[in-house]
Amino acid sequence: QQVQEELNKQLFDNLVSFLRRSHSEFQEKTTEWSCRMKSREIPTAALVLGVNVTDHDLTFKSLSEVLQNNITPYVALLQAKDCPGIKNLMQKLMGQLMNCCVDVDSSDEEDYVQVSQHRIRCSMTSLISWYENITKKTDSETPSKKRTSRHLQSPPVVVIFKDMESFTTKVLQDFIVISSQHIHELPLILIFGIATSPMIIHSLLPHSVSSLLCIELFQSLSCKEHLSTIIDKLLLTTQFAFKLSEKVLQVLINIFLYHDFSVQNFIKGFQLCIVEHFHSQPLSVLCCQLVEAKKRVNSLSHSQCENIRRLPSFRSQVSEKQIALLTTDNFLKEVIQKLLEDLHVYHENYVPVLRCLHVFTSSLPKYPLGKQIRELHCACLENRVWETEEYESSLQLARMLNKSDLVTMLQKCVEIFVSSSGKEFDKVVEKLKEFLAQFQKLEGACQERGESISSQKELQKKTDLYHLQKTLLELKESRRSKKLTKFEMLRFEVVDFIDNLVRNYLVPADHKTLHEIMYFNTASALREHLNAAPRIALHTALNNPYCYLKNQALRSDGGYISNKAPDICIVYKLHLECGRLINLVDWLEAFSTVVMAVEGTNEDAAASDQVDDTIHARFIQAVSELELLGFIKPSKQKTDHVARLTWGGC
Amino acid sequence: TLSKKMKDDKMSNLVEEYFEAHSSSKVLTSDRTLQKLHKRRLNQETLRDLLKKAPLAFAPEIKELNQQHECLFSKWMLQLHLGFNIVLYGLGSKRDLLEKFRTSVLQDSVHLVVNGYFPSITVRSILNSITEEVLEHIGTFRSPLDQLEFIMKRFKEDSSLELYVLIHNLDSQMLRGERSQQILAQLSSLPSIYLIASVDHINAPLMWDQAKQSLYNWLWYETTTFSPYVEETSYENSLLVQQSGSLALSSLTHVLRSLTPNARGIFRLLAQYQLENKDNPSYPGLSFQDFYQQCREAFLVNSDLTLRAQLTEFRDHKLIRTKRGADGVEYLLIPVDDSTLTDFLEKEDEDV
Repeated sequence: QQVQEELNKQLFDNLVSFLRRSHSEFQEKTTEWSCRMKSREIPTAALVLGVNVTDHDLTFKSLSEVLQNNITPYVALLQAKDCPGIKNLMQKLMGQLMNCCVDVDSSDEEDYVQVSQHRIRCSMTSLISWYENITKKTDSETPSKKRTSRHLQSPPVVVIFKDMESFTTKVLQDFIVISSQHIHELPLILIFGIATSPMIIHSLLPHSVSSLLCIELFQSLSCKEHLSTIIDKLLLTTQFAFKLSEKVLQVLINIFLYHDFSVQNFIKGFQLCIVEHFHSQPLSVLCCQLVEAKKRVNSLSHSQCENIRRLPSFRSQVSEKQIALLTTDNFLKEVIQKLLEDLHVYHENYVPVLRCLHVFTSSLPKYPLGKQIRELHCACLENRVWETEEYESSLQLARMLNKSDLVTMLQKCVEIFVSSSGKEFDKVVEKLKEFLAQFQKLEGACQERGESISSQKELQKKTDLYHLQKTLLELKESRRSKKLTKFEMLRFEVVDFIDNLVRNYLVPADHKTLHEIMYFNTASALREHLNAAPRIALHTALNNPYCYLKNQALRSDGGYISNKAPDICIVYKLHLECGRLINLVDWLEAFSTVVMAVEGTNEDAAASDQVDDTIHARFIQAVSELELLGFIKPSKQKTDHVARLTWGGC
Repeated sequence: TLSKKMKDDKMSNLVEEYFEAHSSSKVLTSDRTLQKLHKRRLNQETLRDLLKKAPLAFAPEIKELNQQHECLFSKWMLQLHLGFNIVLYGLGSKRDLLEKFRTSVLQDSVHLVVNGYFPSITVRSILNSITEEVLEHIGTFRSPLDQLEFIMKRFKEDSSLELYVLIHNLDSQMLRGERSQQILAQLSSLPSIYLIASVDHINAPLMWDQAKQSLYNWLWYETTTFSPYVEETSYENSLLVQQSGSLALSSLTHVLRSLTPNARGIFRLLAQYQLENKDNPSYPGLSFQDFYQQCREAFLVNSDLTLRAQLTEFRDHKLIRTKRGADGVEYLLIPVDDSTLTDFLEKEDEDV
């Protein structure tokens, strides 16, 4: 558990710092701009942030921090849910601004008392005296600001509206109009967080109000870029021992791309993966940095060793020295250490080679292996990438690259390899550098080629017909064989070399021994817990109770349901056969027919009245359960009818 | 492409089916009503007794299912502590399961159980029980938002405070509103409050938008139990139990017992007139003038004023309703369904 928390923390710190960085540029722009602004109108910054509302909190928090540090102590964050009316808005705003003041010059004891008094009074004001108070509030705010601003040169007050879309139009308009009245005493800056498009400003605010604003637009990074950087930081490093398998990653990415675009949720999913992995896999204790892992291997107990022996990837590996491996723990431990080391080296090599391949494939037309590195990563994890068709076609395309592209790509690859920590790449780098050098030589070689062409021309002297034919044939032949110029040869060589690299280093992780320790691959669990489908669960439970209740009597082949099923299942099945409205009497009768068919076998007609009542009661119970579940609702259209809320079926 | 075409066909069929089902306002069902079934209506208690007698089907299988779910308890605890909240879905009442979770795991810690299916529960009462009993704070708050703010502040200040909140039926009528969900979501986003809830309604996830969902930070767990919703449905005013009907009848007799014979006669007259016209759908009710005339003829009232006073008394007890027709005349109606009214008249006849 401790390991988990450690990992979690590490992960989170990394993410937060990264998000900060990605925003900082954007924030600097905003802050700079808010410094500059001073005019009659209210300066307003509209931040277009994208639909992933959940991620914005962090952005705003860091934005207000930056603003507070650099420009002004007065930053208020307003959320739509806190401000149903203008009164609440003013209160909230006041409270936050006062608190800001207190935070900044906390030395003033007296100030604090006054502030708290203000807050209490303004919270006590009744709705009737609101009109007087609004002036008082703004007045009292203004002097307090002025008082503290004697030493600073009138810093602006920044008000951030976190979610512009969910504010009520009226509140927003009123606030803007009111504050525009006081703009010369109280330099105010508004920042709108917009999830959709800047058009919303104009549709929310009428012209008379929006003319009071001086709006400038800022665009934030798209969430897809965030995702790719996060994948870069989290998955394509050797820093974290924990890895995701292809299917899990695919699920996470799908949730991101097809559901919510929320980076926060992606991280949540990742977190869940970590929890699940460490919770379910007994060998996950070894999932840590290499040095630490080696220590832990030495202290493994016998049962843990047995666990390792049981791993599928380990069992397929065991062939020689079988007896020693399967019986002696100590020998096993040695082998494990070696295997872990192998795995570690594999990871170290994997990433730079992957990046290298990405450099090549991402510039090809039509992107046969995908545009983003995550797609490539998935492809590599899924299968042997060189066996796929896409890889084949991308290699073919790569063989047709022109020289300048090739050179830049090679340079990039060199950079990647130099910066990577793997030891085996010295040779590779050397080789690549050699290639580069050869390309430089080729520039000179071009002229040579020209010469060779001229020599060919020499051949075309006037001769007799026989000679001409002969030379032409020769020429043809030479052209066929000499089709490959030096450049082309080199190009082939490079591509083959890359191909080799891929084959050597991008073996999918599934084929490695002991990959279970590091890789989390129960995608189904993830999908179940993050992206659940309650309606499907209900439907299968009602339609086919055998899935849950393992009783032979309930077994049926799809279409019909056995009459021994739980009451609610029978009632549900009968209700599926109806249209929009259901007659309760008919329904009850059908139900009792079905149930009687079972009961009639062992009970005689004497007790039929008693049975009837019981069945009636059971029917009532089942119907009200269906009502609770939301399948039906009482209808006023016709007496004793219920309306169906779902449709289709049978 | 063949399969795709098939799929398309299927899709368009589905779509057509939908519109077919919803196009005609006419509904093809038989006209039989429960009234004609000649079966006494069951009230809540007899229903419960009858159900108790009926054996629970597949008891061993259900027990096995429950045991499977109980294995997850320790995992839930771990995940709750890691900042997730747990939501249970699936067929069957999850009340017993949560109750078991509470008794077996939460015995020693501070926990709060919210019965969402209880018809008079509100968010305010949840917040109140947190502030009063957990935080031991005496005092009132102006609005739930203020109260929430106070709670959040306290929990942030004091890291030793921990609270488990168990909510049965988070999607019940009372809690499904936007504002209550917002407040609960904010509450659950506090790191030291651990929320575990159950939902039953098929459209329960529609309650939450993205912001709320991220506040809740749900982990979904399927816990199909197949156990009957006894507690949950006991508050559901079912169509067949007709609580309101029996209630109306008893209250009717109760109120009328305390009236003068003449007043009873007035009510009887109105009821009889209404029953005579029950098959006429455009029957607007009895106009005041006609009613006055009839009452005079039966020697029940002697002046316009006494009748008016009597009617006011009826109206105070919600025994009649007045409606103004298109011609500006006041029409009188008894807002009780016909069957109850018939029962009432029969009973009156017996008494006399």
